[in-house]
Amino acid sequence: MDITTLLVQSGVNGLVIGMMYALMAIGFTLVFGIMRIVNFAHGEFYMAGAFIAFFTYAQWELPFVATILIAIAVVGIAGAIIEWVLIRPLRTDELTGMIATLGISVVLQNSALMFFGASPRPMPEVVSGLVRMGPVVFSWSRVFVIVAAAFVVGIFWLFMQKSKTGRAMRAVAQDQEAALIQGIDVGRIYPFAFGLSVALAAVAGALMAPVFSVSPFVGTAPMLKAFIVVILGGLGSVPGALLGGLLLGMIESYGATFLGSVVADMLELGLVIAILLVRPSGLMGKKEA
Amino acid sequence: MKLSALAFGASALAMASAASADTMTVGLVGPLSGGAAAWGSAMKAAIEFAAEDINAAGGLEVGGKTYTIDIAAYDSHYNPNDALTAVNRLVFEDEAAFIVGPLGSAPLAALVPTTTENKKITITAGFTPVAAAPEYPYSFRAVLPTEVYAKPQINWVVKSLGAEKIGSLFPNDETGQAMSNDISSAYEAAGADASAVEFYERGRVDFVPLLTRLLAQGIDTFELDGSPPQTAGLLVRQLRELGFEGNIVRTGGDATNDILAVAGPDASEGLYVHMEFDGGLDSVQDYQARYIEAYGGTMNAFSPLFYSNINMVFEAMKAAGTISDADAIVAEMAKISGYEGPAGEVSWIGEDFWGTKRQQFVPYAIGKVTGGKPEVVATCTVDACE
Repeated sequence: MDITTLLVQSGVNGLVIGMMYALMAIGFTLVFGIMRIVNFAHGEFYMAGAFIAFFTYAQWELPFVATILIAIAVVGIAGAIIEWVLIRPLRTDELTGMIATLGISVVLQNSALMFFGASPRPMPEVVSGLVRMGPVVFSWSRVFVIVAAAFVVGIFWLFMQKSKTGRAMRAVAQDQEAALIQGIDVGRIYPFAFGLSVALAAVAGALMAPVFSVSPFVGTAPMLKAFIVVILGGLGSVPGALLGGLLLGMIESYGATFLGSVVADMLELGLVIAILLVRPSGLMGKKEA
Repeated sequence: MKLSALAFGASALAMASAASADTMTVGLVGPLSGGAAAWGSAMKAAIEFAAEDINAAGGLEVGGKTYTIDIAAYDSHYNPNDALTAVNRLVFEDEAAFIVGPLGSAPLAALVPTTTENKKITITAGFTPVAAAPEYPYSFRAVLPTEVYAKPQINWVVKSLGAEKIGSLFPNDETGQAMSNDISSAYEAAGADASAVEFYERGRVDFVPLLTRLLAQGIDTFELDGSPPQTAGLLVRQLRELGFEGNIVRTGGDATNDILAVAGPDASEGLYVHMEFDGGLDSVQDYQARYIEAYGGTMNAFSPLFYSNINMVFEAMKAAGTISDADAIVAEMAKISGYEGPAGEVSWIGEDFWGTKRQQFVPYAIGKVTGGKPEVVATCTVDACE
């Protein structure tokens, strides 16, 4: 394998994993930006999306588009209800809210363990076969993840920029009191934003399920990466989460391919520390007033 | 009314005390969740079946007393800290008569000083030499470690498959490091180049960058040993996604069913796997049918091996006439020969390796996955596979 092949191969690998991190981190940072809550259960909504994909696509053999839509609807509505019932009463205390999300995480993961067992469940690929471009080889299933994730991010961006609800969510994120004065119903924005955030995690889970298989623990690693990504990109910044996700995916891929995983892991966390030292608010985060 | 309630309470208390006096608790500490759960579940099924058999037969008669078997099971998460916490509970709170587990070298190394100091017999699957070391006389191992099967099996792979440049990935912990040394040494000794080695953190699911790094080194064979079942399945799948067409070999630690489940039959076709025993035996088939009926899914091959070893402890307790004198039980364990377990006739080996004889051995084999099933292509002794 020559150096050009390695560079291209690593680039594609980094793009796949980076898009997954970006999808996870966008939802994660959205909730923080609007509600000032770190959702520790975010990984479990990724897991829920993966299980929905398993049952709807692998078991019931529905089209994959229907799988994604079901994952968005089920997890989004469940997320909104969870926000309304469990997080809303604790909104005034951010720390208590965070502990509540930690509890939700444990309940969701252990429930999945009780109902579905610990064994991993494989899923058939959505698109099978390999793409060969000279010596560069990658699977269609990974290309599908890149395209589908980019499409979802695009739709999300359009929604946030052009729709009334999206603009209202951005207004609440910028200044809650000013948004209230403008007549925005913040009480409704919160559960909607939480539902949208966890629906994005569910989409990431559903897209990655055919690539990595499904188990109650699949959300743990992406959740940790989402933390790193939002710090890298800036807590509360959606463009920062996209940039941070892609950057982390590339660092992981190129680092592991050229230096090995042990060095890549050190490099990854070293970079986070360096960014925190130089730009404590992250690459695209705003300084707190 | 009050008096009768008091009398009822007192008699219930007395009955409970009598019952607990004749109950023997057996501990289990193994990975019941996560990537290695297939192995932990296999261990749990083994002790549950053994307890079910004894309890159904009226209990275990030892020294004039009859004991029903109770199980206290804890998830080690394949983690030394959690395994040690579980063992402390088993030793000091549950007062387990013996312990099934742990699985993995790192958890075993962490807890074996405690079990030795408190004279608790362990039936482990930790591949570290610590499991059979002379200074830990209560540690028995149910599953053959890499150190034993690596040489004969890898000699066969190098000679029969013409393997020259081997790539491998191991978890970045004591278990992975120990296995990496054993596997690499065996390949080097057989005349192959095993220098393309990488390590990963447990829990990782995307191995494509690391596999790309290994493929760039021109490997013709990939060794899967050292990775838990789910991870091994992901490795097979991702190797094929990168267009790797060389041989993929699993030298040890049964994971065939899980690899097939995760990677799928197409990616697994032609995979060479370690078979813990001859899967065609009627006794194994019966055990497997029982397992599937009880738990569904597929059976990991560790289960019948643990079942044999656990029953040997019960036999030794009967012979020794005690459930608490570990030295007497260990002495009786050493005398057991030709025990017929579901996986075949069991013997003790290990003197040539560690100077002790606490390693269970049943003849094993190499299989090639054909049409979604492993078929025996060579059978093995401690010395060679043919």
